Amino acid sequence: MTRVRRVAALSAVASLILVSRASAQTATWPSESPPRPLAARDVKFPPYELRTLPNGMQVVVVMHHEQPAVSLRLIVRAGSAQDPAGKVGVASLAATLLDQGTTARTAAQIADTIDSVGGDSDTGAGRDLSHAHILVMKDSFDLGMNLLADEVRNPSFAEVEIDRQRQQILSALKVSYDDPEYIANIVFDRLVYGFNPYGAPSSGTPDSLPRITRADLQAFHQRWYVPNNCLLAVVGDVTADEAFAAVNRAFGDWAKREVPTDTATDPPQPTRRMIVVDKPDAVQTEVRVGHLGIPRRQNDYMAMDLAIKILGGEGANRLHRVLRMERSLTYGASAEMETLKRAGEFVAITNTRSEATGEVLRLIVEQFNRLRLERVNEQELADAKAYLTGNFPLRIETPDDIALQVLNVLFYDLPVEELDTYRQRVNAVSADDIARVANVYVRPDRLSVVLVGNAKAFVNQLKAVGFDKYEVVPADDLDLTTVDLRRRTSTGDGIQVALKTIVRRGETVIPERTLTDVQINVPLDEAPFKRPA
Amino acid sequence: MPRRARSFAVVLLAVFALFTWTTDAAVRPPKLQYQTLKLDNGLTVILSEDHSVPIVHLQLWYHVGSKDERPGRTGFAHLFEHMMFKGSKNVQPEAHSSYISSVGGSSNAYTTGDATVFWETVPSQDLPLILWLEADRMASLRIDRDTFTREREVVKEERRMRVENQPYGRLPEIIYDQAFAVSPYRHPTIGSMADLEAASVDNVRDFYRTYYVPNNATIALVGDFDPAQATELVNKYLGRVPKGDRPIPRDYAKEPPQQQEKRVTLEEPWPLPGVVVAYHVTYDGHPDSYPLHIASKLLSDGQSAHIYQKLVYDTGIALTAFGGGNILEEPNLFFAVAIVQPGHTPAEAEKALIAELDRLRNEPVSDRELQRAKNQFARDYILGRETSQQKAMQLCHAAVIHHGDIGTADGEFDIFMNATAADVQRVARTYFTPQNRLVVTVLPKGGKPGDVPP
Repeated sequence: MTRVRRVAALSAVASLILVSRASAQTATWPSESPPRPLAARDVKFPPYELRTLPNGMQVVVVMHHEQPAVSLRLIVRAGSAQDPAGKVGVASLAATLLDQGTTARTAAQIADTIDSVGGDSDTGAGRDLSHAHILVMKDSFDLGMNLLADEVRNPSFAEVEIDRQRQQILSALKVSYDDPEYIANIVFDRLVYGFNPYGAPSSGTPDSLPRITRADLQAFHQRWYVPNNCLLAVVGDVTADEAFAAVNRAFGDWAKREVPTDTATDPPQPTRRMIVVDKPDAVQTEVRVGHLGIPRRQNDYMAMDLAIKILGGEGANRLHRVLRMERSLTYGASAEMETLKRAGEFVAITNTRSEATGEVLRLIVEQFNRLRLERVNEQELADAKAYLTGNFPLRIETPDDIALQVLNVLFYDLPVEELDTYRQRVNAVSADDIARVANVYVRPDRLSVVLVGNAKAFVNQLKAVGFDKYEVVPADDLDLTTVDLRRRTSTGDGIQVALKTIVRRGETVIPERTLTDVQINVPLDEAPFKRPA
Repeated sequence: MPRRARSFAVVLLAVFALFTWTTDAAVRPPKLQYQTLKLDNGLTVILSEDHSVPIVHLQLWYHVGSKDERPGRTGFAHLFEHMMFKGSKNVQPEAHSSYISSVGGSSNAYTTGDATVFWETVPSQDLPLILWLEADRMASLRIDRDTFTREREVVKEERRMRVENQPYGRLPEIIYDQAFAVSPYRHPTIGSMADLEAASVDNVRDFYRTYYVPNNATIALVGDFDPAQATELVNKYLGRVPKGDRPIPRDYAKEPPQQQEKRVTLEEPWPLPGVVVAYHVTYDGHPDSYPLHIASKLLSDGQSAHIYQKLVYDTGIALTAFGGGNILEEPNLFFAVAIVQPGHTPAEAEKALIAELDRLRNEPVSDRELQRAKNQFARDYILGRETSQQKAMQLCHAAVIHHGDIGTADGEFDIFMNATAADVQRVARTYFTPQNRLVVTVLPKGGKPGDVPP
């Protein structure tokens, strides 16, 4: 080591001398190829400890001592897919209310408690799960753990807090409904999953939210918030002994109960359908193209993930190449594979100026066809695989990253060994595998298409690009609960129906992305202008 | 009203009884470990080793942002950020991102009022590649009319997506346009599409030769590397980039002090009204900037913060409301925003926002609240140093925006911890005055009569 360092230092001096010479000759920048990499380093999945409490709660502890913080992430295995019929939004509202009062603390006390110690907290629900997250500095670890247990075990669901949160959500819907990106996502989910619970917006609708009662929230909590239906990750600057002791104190006396069996049905098979949501003031069209995919726990997951990466993910991204690099039709284009417990979807996502809508749609459909019909180029596959394997260490950088990888495996009941074999499993996928899964799962003749924009600027282009049938729904008439997505009768208020769906794409269960509290994205935090990866 | 006041008092008492220890000092974040070098060509280099994961992050700041653009030439800094991906002598157009993703890395760039930032995170063995890529585009960017014209179309799509096609997307533009007459922060970072249309390739080359030079750049490497080897590689690739051959202008127009309150009402096609209350404030690093940051925390960090408690939780006037300082290299703004709930008026929201800002002027913040804000700062420091990218950002920000005073990356922590209630009240009295205030009310275009006052 010492010798290497000395040699390196010497050549550093040598290159300094070269530098001063080179800067004199400004015009001659060398022609050269990229340099070779240094010696590769070993990547190991960091250590973690897994235990199941006698009451069935699964606990993961990831020790990480660089920063004096501890994060506590609790996941309940139930989300909007378990909402009672006609009452979509129960899971989400229940989760939103977890930190708005318990039998021991008011909402204001909870806020004051967590803010005073410089902590952070959030709660929410997605389609398959609900979550509560508390972050504290090391010296407030017990406080954080006790607060989390109180929120999850003893929410008060006070009427006044229910009304307050409900009103917030209903008002936020008015804003969301003006956001074309948001509308495109919820209509696309509705097309892909039909009337399966996955197709309904998790946060509820203006019709369903007023119907939700305190009793519904209590029943949901009673039924699903059960230790044997929960996962908890304790992550950061604690020892395993400290962590398990604290978990036992806070959750050990939580009684095990039977969890209802999952009776959900599968979503319908894909059918070709195009919905144009007309928003005459739009200057761009939001485009979603895709169909039903596969659930997370499925043998073809890895091959299919690579196929979709080639279509529109990091490392390859044909869509970005065709739509942005070659033709400047968009700021960004991608394809994603969303995988849930029981189903999933493939979706191409982009936006473009209204006049280019037809052309963009044609190019996207062409790429779906190409993926199904043409064998992928070996280099493209190699790049997509290299991205996934090379990227692995970047995905275990922080203690929370590590915990999410473990939670993800546990949540989907995958073997934990998968964490150690990730790169081997990626590398095992061949071009034949891609051809096979593309042939089985990709159906360009059965695409669901959603276009949200100024319809009159582009509907006359649709026939020429192969879509002679489409349904135009004025944005103000949109209703996800009807077959034709149009509102039947005009109700006095609550005209605008739109809810935030859970944008949870890709492989991991990331609670941040399952925030259900409808947020308005007022872009004032000096959002820098980013270029998509 | 009396009922709410009582329950608030009860809450406070209960909280005091349970959590008296929260007035203890905040947990201290560990100090950043780093060394700095200056190359002969003027490039500032910051090296910070961390071997916990085999990855390395490179962050390169060019000290040029949208505030360096001249009237009639807005949007250049951001367009340049795009152009840097369009190829250089040894790198084909768009190949930069392909090189990075083919080793599993991530890369991106962003532009602010003050700086243009490029970054890559890769497995540690690929350090030579990212240094080579950054050097190639710093020294030999390809700039031709065709590429420029096509990338301009992409930027137009970006503007449509972020600004024009989103509810409230134009709010920042409206605030800054109304607040400033001559400040270089008046125009949005993405710039004017008309200015970009009017730009010639010569203008673009000129911008590149002025600002994209090693003596206007700071690079940080954070992660798993050997410092001697990294130094050698930095010298080998970036050391050979020639120094800039012209002065870098730093003459920013000074906004004249506002003499009286300014009030504006306008219409936008948004679903609910918005109210903005803004005040002109000082620059990043000025002694007043620290108490102003504390004021931001008191007003807006967490559900116990003043604005959330009053406007969202207690009264329900606002669907969302927040306030804080946008404190940059040159004097900027401190502003608070409320999106008004149906059933309430913009006038109520304005009154309530101003009342919260006035409260900071009229009464000293309690010790307990001050300690809460400090604890939240400590949290931000700690959580803001988890990834190599975050660490690089803290270091580069200090080096660039604090003009070489990299020690401020850690040193500011003590300034925050030593701030007093009197400091907060003093800056509130200095800046949150009626004559320094701008009030913007934005009403929904074509709103139903009776929805909002005319």
